[in-house]
Amino acid sequence: MRQYMLTFLASVLGLFSMFSQEATIKGKVVDANSSEAIPRVEVHIVNSVFSTETNGEGIFSLSGSTVPEGEQILVLNKADYVVQRIPITIQKGQTNDLGQILLQLDLSAVETQIGVISLSDNELNEDEGTSYNISGLLQASNDTFLDAASFDFSATFFRPRGLDSENGKVLINGIEMNKQFNGRPQWANWGGLNDAQRNQDFSMGLKANDYTFGDLAGTTNIIMRASQYRKGGRVSYAMANRSYTGRVMGSYNSGLTQDGWAYSVLASRRFAEEGYQDGTLYDANSFFASVEKKMNDAHSLNFTAFYTPNRRGRSTAITQEVRDLKDIKYNPNWGYQDGEKRNSRERKIEEPVVMLNHFWNINEKTTLNTNIAYQFGSIGDSRLDNGGNRNPFGNYYQRLPSYFLRFPSPTAYDYQLAYEAEQEFINDGQINWNDIYLANLNAATGYSSYVLQEDRVEDTQLTLNSILSTALNDHVTLNGNINYRSLTSKNFATILDLLGGTAYEDFDRFYAGPTPSFAQSDVQNPNRIVQEGDTYKYNYELGATVLSGFAQAQFKYSAVDFYLGASASNTSYQRTGIYQNGYFAEGNRSLGDSEELTFTNFGAKGGFTYKVTGRHLIDFNAGYLTKAPTLRNSFANARQNNDVVDGLTEEKVQSVDLSYIYRSPIVKGRITGYYAGFQDATEIGFFFTQNAFGTEDNSAFVQEIVQGIEKRNMGVEVGIEAQVLPTFLLKGAASIGQNLYTNNPSIYLSGDDYDYDKEDGFVEGNDLAARGKRTVFLENYHVAGGPELAAQVGFEYRDPDFWWVGVTTNYFSNAYVDVSTLRRSEDFALDTDNQIFADYDEAVAKELLKQEQLPDYFLVNVVGGKSWKIKQYYVGFFATINNVLNQEYKTGGFEDSRRSNYQQQLEENSNTGGPLFGNRYFFGNGTTYYLNLYVRF
Amino acid sequence: MKQFKFSTLFLLLVTAVSFVSCVQDDEYNAPNGDATELNIPTTDIVTIDALRSAWEQEVATNGNQTLTFGEEFAGKYLEGYVISSDETGNFFEEIILQDQPSNPTAGVKVLINVNPLFGRYDFGRRIYIELKGLSVGLDSGVLTLGYESGGSIEQISETKMDEIILRDATVAEIVPMPINISDFSDDKTNLFVRLTDVQFTRSQALGSDPLTYAAEASDEFDGERILESCSEANSTIFSTSTFADFKAQELATGRGTIDAILTYDFFGEYFIVTVNSLDDLQLDDANRCDPDTFSCDGPSGGGSVFWSQNFEQFNSIEQYVSAGWTNVNVNSGPTQWVIGNFNNNNYAQVSGFSSGENTIESWLVTPAINMDGTTMEELSFDLEVAFANGVGLSVLVSTDFTGDVTTATWSPLDVAIPNVPASGFGGFNTVDPINVSCVDGDMYVAFRYQGSDPNLTTRYHIDNIEVTGN
Repeated sequence: MRQYMLTFLASVLGLFSMFSQEATIKGKVVDANSSEAIPRVEVHIVNSVFSTETNGEGIFSLSGSTVPEGEQILVLNKADYVVQRIPITIQKGQTNDLGQILLQLDLSAVETQIGVISLSDNELNEDEGTSYNISGLLQASNDTFLDAASFDFSATFFRPRGLDSENGKVLINGIEMNKQFNGRPQWANWGGLNDAQRNQDFSMGLKANDYTFGDLAGTTNIIMRASQYRKGGRVSYAMANRSYTGRVMGSYNSGLTQDGWAYSVLASRRFAEEGYQDGTLYDANSFFASVEKKMNDAHSLNFTAFYTPNRRGRSTAITQEVRDLKDIKYNPNWGYQDGEKRNSRERKIEEPVVMLNHFWNINEKTTLNTNIAYQFGSIGDSRLDNGGNRNPFGNYYQRLPSYFLRFPSPTAYDYQLAYEAEQEFINDGQINWNDIYLANLNAATGYSSYVLQEDRVEDTQLTLNSILSTALNDHVTLNGNINYRSLTSKNFATILDLLGGTAYEDFDRFYAGPTPSFAQSDVQNPNRIVQEGDTYKYNYELGATVLSGFAQAQFKYSAVDFYLGASASNTSYQRTGIYQNGYFAEGNRSLGDSEELTFTNFGAKGGFTYKVTGRHLIDFNAGYLTKAPTLRNSFANARQNNDVVDGLTEEKVQSVDLSYIYRSPIVKGRITGYYAGFQDATEIGFFFTQNAFGTEDNSAFVQEIVQGIEKRNMGVEVGIEAQVLPTFLLKGAASIGQNLYTNNPSIYLSGDDYDYDKEDGFVEGNDLAARGKRTVFLENYHVAGGPELAAQVGFEYRDPDFWWVGVTTNYFSNAYVDVSTLRRSEDFALDTDNQIFADYDEAVAKELLKQEQLPDYFLVNVVGGKSWKIKQYYVGFFATINNVLNQEYKTGGFEDSRRSNYQQQLEENSNTGGPLFGNRYFFGNGTTYYLNLYVRF
Repeated sequence: MKQFKFSTLFLLLVTAVSFVSCVQDDEYNAPNGDATELNIPTTDIVTIDALRSAWEQEVATNGNQTLTFGEEFAGKYLEGYVISSDETGNFFEEIILQDQPSNPTAGVKVLINVNPLFGRYDFGRRIYIELKGLSVGLDSGVLTLGYESGGSIEQISETKMDEIILRDATVAEIVPMPINISDFSDDKTNLFVRLTDVQFTRSQALGSDPLTYAAEASDEFDGERILESCSEANSTIFSTSTFADFKAQELATGRGTIDAILTYDFFGEYFIVTVNSLDDLQLDDANRCDPDTFSCDGPSGGGSVFWSQNFEQFNSIEQYVSAGWTNVNVNSGPTQWVIGNFNNNNYAQVSGFSSGENTIESWLVTPAINMDGTTMEELSFDLEVAFANGVGLSVLVSTDFTGDVTTATWSPLDVAIPNVPASGFGGFNTVDPINVSCVDGDMYVAFRYQGSDPNLTTRYHIDNIEVTGN
């Protein structure tokens, strides 16, 4: 009986399979030069929904009962390789084994990509506040829009979908590299390693990702494993007039040897006496090494280390008045010393990373990747500490013509002074180091009043994670990870240079109030005299631990792919004061441990790709997540005390996008509509203001805490390209969006000047008790962050003789300056007696509070390259000229919060010589070039 | 073969890197602060004396308050030695120059819109200022150089400073010029002077709550303290900016020498002295020259007024004398106390001005004030000082006075008598209450005026004398 049953079943199944008439196409893809297998090659049958990818051994197999029969074209596509089109004949019930398929390396594509990485890298080190999101754009992708964004839109502050880099995740070998402090990746930590960063996985938005839950702006995983580099070496020399003027780089990869070892090394140096901006030196060395041992088919162990010490002279945003007197290259941060341009604001970053990665193929369907990474080192930002002296910068407002014309009806003498100031500024306008030294040298006490200070952050971070991937069957893959991250961040100021003096007094020698401790930065060590290298002013540690995990299921069917994912995390923060700040000496207000902050967060996402036909696809993604505030936005005045932001909450984020994708042999394109909503965001800013109620003279250096911010980013992005001729490609891309604040959040200010009863010895440290939280009328203002409209048309010509050239014209508009929130708060209308200004006129106020829209502009870029094969060497160059027409343009800007009430703004707007504290702008570069020469072997 | 390739690469790299490692490192040679010798010919030098004379002539002949130097002063330099320092914050956006390192004869203040200045224009530095376009005139009562605008002298801008003020290599040792308070005069302002044998007045420097230099609640812009001479019956004002870093320190309690700059107060009304830093005070002799004043130690501050005089009762001194007051000039001169009146207010008044009297000693003594029925007594009165040119008033008590001031036993009371204002009236101020709780029986309070025409002719008004007790 049993036998019968089995026979029956077998015959039914047999019948079934006979009826279904499956066809199978399989093959193995290898590199034409090295004969090594190529994984993750996209394989699809033209005009059908059938597609797959090669596995780790380069093998693919396509099968199904609805595979189109007859003469078909199989396309094999892999970044850096020339696309292969293979005519095949498909017959139902047959297996079509194509054997070995050779893919030819597309050197120009490789070089283009390295070029893109280099270019982006060039822009990435910009100062905070100017950083924009290029996460994921480091890779020349297959997406026309993203190519445009990474290549051509990156010269301005354009941010895809209006998202900041803190909304994207950057991983290296599966380990998250975003800083806990501000959520942003610190690009400089792997800068200059371009050759070693070509292997990147990018997933757009919240799309399914094998490593992590991800974030709105996408996830990039940079694979830096020795075994993943193609055997060979590369030496290159690049010249440019942007952030650096020269770069030399050499790398060598062994490839996986017979005995299972692989190693990879890279060294590079980038340098500039000054970059495009005056006085912006660039001094960066980069070292990378990776060794991997493939123990057996199941286990590989990889060690990767990189160290990229770099030092840069910074520049800053300038007002229109300054720009008009100087030029867009003007940088106030430097002055001549010893015949050299000495920049007072240098950033030094030295944060080496070492990591160990274990790859375990548990079975054919399951892999487990376990990583441990350790990062240490320091980030230092130097600046001049002026003591009580006048700010020595050439563009200090009291040195500009506008200052001398600030009163109504200036006198002839005022005009003379304004003229003198103008001439002085035009002819010099820089720091006078000599005077600074003289003041210190001639000090009767020997104590410096000016010193070069460094704000230093020393992070040590340990990350552990495991990433699991298992294919339940041909259609379902499960991914999951678990992460642990522990950060200790030491924050302190130190003296870099006494500038001619013998020591510095780390206390306020001018203090004469009733509470002597106020003069002390550290009550534990009163009246301290400090030397170069000593810690002073402030000293504290921030601790952060994050435990997180995610799970995801991906389903792949012939007509539809979809996924579901979820994440959970637990974040805790604590500040530990090492100095007992004199203003906040009581209890553990500044010394010792703060309250421990804990956040539990969740996320969920899902999406699908529906293949209407092989040419038409619909893609949809949606997600909801909550995020712990960053460390930066958790403590109200971290340099001085343990105060936590009042009523701190996590941020909520929603994201939806819907795309239509069209692919034909000639034309491919994508149009996406997106929406991203943010609620309960917290932002902390720092500035000096003359509108700080409740402080002496209403003037104070404050931390501005804005809470409950709601924002909405909405828009459409389009990319389309047409291969008009085999050698000629036309392309177009555009993004039209609107990034708005959608509510009126609350504001309060903190700082040591908030001391209501001077006699009681207790410093409130904020204006909460006295004034409570006020409303900021931000609704419908634009969130600053690059142009909301960016568009491109261009073409590429690829000559069969191994040279190519591309030209694009790019248009940008609808960029807005970052508005001052304090200026939009209720405080704006209030006179110093806390009553509304007698002459307050709402219509005038409205005009004063209008957000400035930056002018629109066109940028024309040219890119090209050529390569030769000489014996076993490939020699070539890659070059770009950006902003060929030398268009002057503002990439962004921000308002000043110093004079932020109605009266002050009226004055600012009626000054004869223009505003004293006008909007400050970042200017884009004029015409710049980048030329890279390389040899591969 | 592979080995060869790798080493080639490495070599290439090393060569390349060594070629290009030319970025400025962060080691800089520090400036040494030296200036170069200028050697300006004497024919091109204008002395501060000459500057002052030229200005005085302009005022006298043309009636202008400022003198502006024209094109002909291109290449003509004012020479001076810096005697001020803004390092401690006691000077702000100005430097003071005098003509010689020692035995100076003239000084001038130069207004410059720069902070700090001591780095370039350090104490003792010889500097030259090209006069073309500059103006000289009075600012806060002293000779001042700058640019003229709207009739006043304004600051030299930072830009102009670079252009017209030259630093010489010479840094001279400035020898302070000895001076007596009574010798203060306009032509000695802006000079670095030495006052010997001086001290801060006891009511400000001593006691349980001594004053700071300029950090009292009542100090606005400047803290003004009484500096009195031990060798002459005179005092002056020691002025400190509320922006000075030593403003919160307590006044030096000793007696000794002060090296200071003689100038006028902000409003140009009276002389003050001000220092570059507390290093210029050598007040370390603990043996002060305070008069032996009468003082009671017991508790005081009794609440009700049991004796008072506001001089509204009669309009002439003679009527008060009839009522038991004593008014006598022991040298028999004409200067005596009188009853003055201003704004319908009577007060006792004395002044040696235009008396022609060389030695004045004029007493005003109250009738007997019986102290037996009360405890914790305090004495207070209102005092107005006018046209001060020295301290000529003292307050004394006696219990054995019988009508002849010269035979009674008098004990001076500890009352601070200001030596301002030099011109005009200072307004009535109530003196700090004086503890007289240990006096029993009949108490007589005397106001003694010791003056000398024309050297000490300060005018005093006394009103609202009150004695309180329980």
